Amino acid sequence: MSVFYDKFERHAHGEGLKGQSTHYCAGCGHGLVHKLLSQAIEELGIQDNTVIVSPVGCSVFAYYYFDTGNTQAAHGRAAAVALGHKMANPEATVVSYQGDGDLASIGLAETVAAAQLGAPITVIFINNAIYGMTGGQMAPTTLMGQTTATSPDGRNQFNGQPIKMAELIAQLDGPVYVERVALYSPADRKKAAKAIKKAIQLQKEGRGYSFIEVLAECPTHLKMAPDKAEAWVKENMTKIFPLGVKKDTTVEPWFNRPQPCFKAETFVKAVGASSEAVQKHCKAFPSHLNPADISLKLAGSGGDGAQTAAMLIATAAINEGFDGTHIPAYGPESRGGTSYADVHVAKDEVLNPASPTPDILLAFNAPSLAKFGVTVKKGGCIIYDSSIAKDVKPMDPSITVVGVPFTEIAAGLGKMVVKNIVALGALQAATNLFPKETFMAAVKQALKDKASLIPLNEQAFQAGMDAAQAFLANKKK
Amino acid sequence: MPELKERPKPYLVPDYCKGCGRCVSVCVKGCIAFSDEINPVTGLVPVVLDLEKCTGCGLCIEACPEPYGLRALEQGEDFELQDPAKLFGEKPSAAPKPVEVPAKQIPLPKTEPLVIKGNYASAIGALLVGCRHVYGYPITPSTEGAELMAKLLPKLDGVFLQAVSEVATVNHMYGTGGAGLPTMTFTSSPGFSLMLEGVSYMVGAEVPGVFVNVMRGGPGLGNIAPEQADVKLACHGLGHGYSHCITLMPSTPQEMLDLTMLAFELSFKYRNPVIILADGYLGQMTGKVQLPDHMTEPGIPTWAVYGDLNHRKNLIASIQLLEQDLEKFNLYLHGKYESMQVEARAETFMADDAEILLVACNTPARAAKGAVQNLREQGIKAGLFRPVTIWPFPIEQLKAQLPRTKRIVMVEANASGQIENELRLALSKAGVTAIPPITHVRRCGGLLPQQTEVVDHVLSLAK
Ligand code: SF4
Ligand code: SF4
Ligand code: SF4
Repeated sequence: MSVFYDKFERHAHGEGLKGQSTHYCAGCGHGLVHKLLSQAIEELGIQDNTVIVSPVGCSVFAYYYFDTGNTQAAHGRAAAVALGHKMANPEATVVSYQGDGDLASIGLAETVAAAQLGAPITVIFINNAIYGMTGGQMAPTTLMGQTTATSPDGRNQFNGQPIKMAELIAQLDGPVYVERVALYSPADRKKAAKAIKKAIQLQKEGRGYSFIEVLAECPTHLKMAPDKAEAWVKENMTKIFPLGVKKDTTVEPWFNRPQPCFKAETFVKAVGASSEAVQKHCKAFPSHLNPADISLKLAGSGGDGAQTAAMLIATAAINEGFDGTHIPAYGPESRGGTSYADVHVAKDEVLNPASPTPDILLAFNAPSLAKFGVTVKKGGCIIYDSSIAKDVKPMDPSITVVGVPFTEIAAGLGKMVVKNIVALGALQAATNLFPKETFMAAVKQALKDKASLIPLNEQAFQAGMDAAQAFLANKKK
Repeated sequence: MPELKERPKPYLVPDYCKGCGRCVSVCVKGCIAFSDEINPVTGLVPVVLDLEKCTGCGLCIEACPEPYGLRALEQGEDFELQDPAKLFGEKPSAAPKPVEVPAKQIPLPKTEPLVIKGNYASAIGALLVGCRHVYGYPITPSTEGAELMAKLLPKLDGVFLQAVSEVATVNHMYGTGGAGLPTMTFTSSPGFSLMLEGVSYMVGAEVPGVFVNVMRGGPGLGNIAPEQADVKLACHGLGHGYSHCITLMPSTPQEMLDLTMLAFELSFKYRNPVIILADGYLGQMTGKVQLPDHMTEPGIPTWAVYGDLNHRKNLIASIQLLEQDLEKFNLYLHGKYESMQVEARAETFMADDAEILLVACNTPARAAKGAVQNLREQGIKAGLFRPVTIWPFPIEQLKAQLPRTKRIVMVEANASGQIENELRLALSKAGVTAIPPITHVRRCGGLLPQQTEVVDHVLSLAK
């Protein structure tokens, strides 16, 4: 009996008789299952490593009794809490002890999800076909015709039908062992003891999730003497909830998790941080575009790479010791249709990261050009894909408009994915935001795991630059 | 004293018998019988044993639901002994007094700044303080946080578990936090609503954990653009009962990292969840983020239910059945909340001589900062007061500004002025009566107040 506290200090502060007796009604099945659980823990020698999660329901106070780690969970969530414990300490044996309202009604999602996850925890499910704690209302497992406080004329079809949890859980791929047992006879109690022990053993060995449904007596709300309640469970409940093993698969131990890693080196590598200083190429902030804060908009459709190009500009700015921000348009609007990004490059700090009126617009298609062209500031610059958008109407005369066939050039290079790099090259030539080297440094950083693609990107960037320069030269003529 | 046989006979302290009779029917020898004598101590009717024919089969013991009901006599136990206090004694539980497993600081090499999204920055902040257990349910615009965790945690032998719902998420956190380890989640407004029951339980059971709520437009499904309409939830609606959490409102990707680290520190310091309210823009925004010079390997606190001998005697629970106990606990919580006042933080910008004080949090604070600069250029003495904690509200810091403040202008992204409500409540509680006129620039529905709107508003006041 060592797994029970010598004195139930938590039961009304252990005063008087409560220090040694349970809060359960006379003849209640809970006490018996507590004894079986205690026995299993003792026999397996795991008392020091066990955490028992008690539910909401009559067994809410299971933690009064078990001299193990104890957590009391919110209604229905014991299995989710148990998983939280198991993940925190894979060495621990975690038992989720739940009644029918908790497990099969309010907590159904958590119950099924934990079972299907299959991580080794043990769920002990007390099915007594009625709500105990709240005073005899209908449970999800209440039998058809059974009278309860909320099915006063007997459960009928309008109340739905009793849910067979052991069968439901056994259907899932996650669990390794599912059995339904009962408490009404010496032989059944022995089977129950064996099942509970096996369920915990399987967890201890890291083999997987186990589920034991126990048909239990609630003499109080069945309004029967305990021996009548035993007979009732035997005669009525087992017809709907047949006893026996529902699933028992042999699985090799698999749940062995390493201790979390706290090595500086591994961490720095994982987050992609680098100690290598990036070379600076800018002599000064590009104040010819805006004295302190240059605002850009990049717009195209899904596959144009506008977001990547935006990221590269922000990275380039930060590499040069300026501030840079990038905000993508996100969500449903980013699926198909227009994909646009707001970018800022600031001398000290970006104050307004949105770009409702950009200094520079990089447009990958005609709708973007039409939508955002009108928002560009006076004296600003528009660079657009002239392979897609033709016949660009002159905007404000102070705005420089540069058409470069991003798509054609990228197609010519044989890789459409570099379209955005062509565009960045054009942007560089048209605005002189940063020197070419600054852009290319950012591109190389982004491709550090795909170095073979660097020459192609370099080529694309240069081609974009050349085309923009040619366009501008042509315009002057 | 009769000699103990190999198979011990049952023994019963009548005080611990509830008279259920489950033992009666199993004894084929008829040794156990119902009685009609009421036990004067319990008011129940215990069974009576006549063990003359007893074979020591043990079936009655197995049938008894009471842990200290029918028992087998153990070797050396005195059959005649009837006094339960002597029988079970005041034996202390064998579990030891838990000792703290201390945290360790691990130096990091100096690195170049990262260029990352706010959501990523927050995730990296959590990893830096040693969080290796992250649970979550995907929801825009917070999902990148969970995605990065799913990518990085396996490399750090940590756990990312995509939960079946936000309800499950917060309860996984309750388990891991209860085990004494740092844990967190990323969510956004509708998901945060779903987690609130669990937050209340965590407060009640004193379980630490960090919630990053990247706020979006509501009510209902609303939209996925930024809003600041969960301030009321974080400050006054964290589930049922008397629950409060320190609530931080970052305004840059760098602060997403810094404040996430701070959130964990505060969460463990006070054994209470901590909320980070970001906005959709900030979560998605990429910016410059510098890593600190160390990271932390967390220890295990003494109160944890870790599942080892050291912590065996512990309990994580929020139930206080006796009214007096719950009153005592709530007064204790009240004291704890009072002690959190020292964590109130605010940042100011050009506020030293400001006559017009803009007040803003999150991304709108950036627009407000831009507006301050713009207004200064036009000769208007504007300044920014940015609460970094919205709960507790940095009232002392605000009070220090008031003697010079002629007007307060609230800049926020919700329809009703939720940040303004916090400010007014804090002023009122602090007994400040000389309050300058308060006006506001508000946008909502996913739109943020713009710098030009703020500037125009302030200029219109001057007229
Ligand atoms: S109400 Fe029913 S389930 Fe609850 S303690 Fe009493 S007998 Fe047991
Ligand atoms: S041990 Fe067996 S024989 Fe003895 S009282 Fe109990 S049930 Fe009867
Ligand atoms: S089973 Fe236990 S509690 Fe019930 S009558 Fe027998 S001794 Fe008493």
